[in-house]
Amino acid sequence: MKLIAIFTLLIGISAVLTSSIVAFHPNILYAAISLTFTLISVAGFYVVLGADFLAAVQLIIYVGGIIIVILFAIMMSENIYRARFLDQARKYLAPIVFSTAIFWVLFKLISKTQFSLVADPVRVPISESVGVALTTLYALPFEYIALFLLVGLVGAVIVARPDYKETHYKDEGSIK
Amino acid sequence: MSGLANNLSFYLVVSAIMFVFGIVAALSRKNMIGIFMGVELILNAAALNFVAVKLLQTKAAASPTQDGAIFSLFIIVMAAIEAAVALAIVLRVFGVKRSIDPDGMARLRG
Repeated sequence: MKLIAIFTLLIGISAVLTSSIVAFHPNILYAAISLTFTLISVAGFYVVLGADFLAAVQLIIYVGGIIIVILFAIMMSENIYRARFLDQARKYLAPIVFSTAIFWVLFKLISKTQFSLVADPVRVPISESVGVALTTLYALPFEYIALFLLVGLVGAVIVARPDYKETHYKDEGSIK
Repeated sequence: MSGLANNLSFYLVVSAIMFVFGIVAALSRKNMIGIFMGVELILNAAALNFVAVKLLQTKAAASPTQDGAIFSLFIIVMAAIEAAVALAIVLRVFGVKRSIDPDGMARLRG
């Protein structure tokens, strides 16, 4: 029981450190690689919290899919190696003040609230109950998110299609 | 000391820190990919809260279905859609302007 506490603490430290690198590192490539470790840390949190199915989904979709997409998009950004620190410091001021205020409010809320905690939470595998819930109670949201995914992917393909020139718009405009 | 893994406040504070760093990244990055990575951090922080509260809070844990996990699952699917659409927009903007600096995308400004 001691081991899980140490594991949780290490995951928490890793999540905080790597997400700070995502926010503050001037090189966008290092930030993306650091984001990978943040996402792996969140998957570790899911393991600690007993959500095995979500940990697998997190690793497959985020670390396997979205990070690849991000790294692919980074290939198109120039000046990833050119950091202008003076520019950076001025630019970071307003977001840091704003988000410190948000964090202060959140921290006050968390520390003042009296949570009624479960005395001894049971961590059972959730894959079966998630599958049952997705086909019974959450069947309609599941279908909806599937449709949403389909529409989003088709729209992404249409937007990214290379030969969609402005002549198409002219053709559509000339229809009487 | 076994309390840390069952301490809801710990998860909430870590998730709040991730959320705040996500806001900093989304507001201050001078790069479309950086903004997108900040949004990913924000979504992950929200999903982590759902799962932690579902396991550790009394009323949420009493619910027979895995509501927290399903909400987090939908958040992950939404993030995947967002990634696809964001990459499509990045590709399109890069094809037109040869740059993905968000300050340069002002063509629709009135």
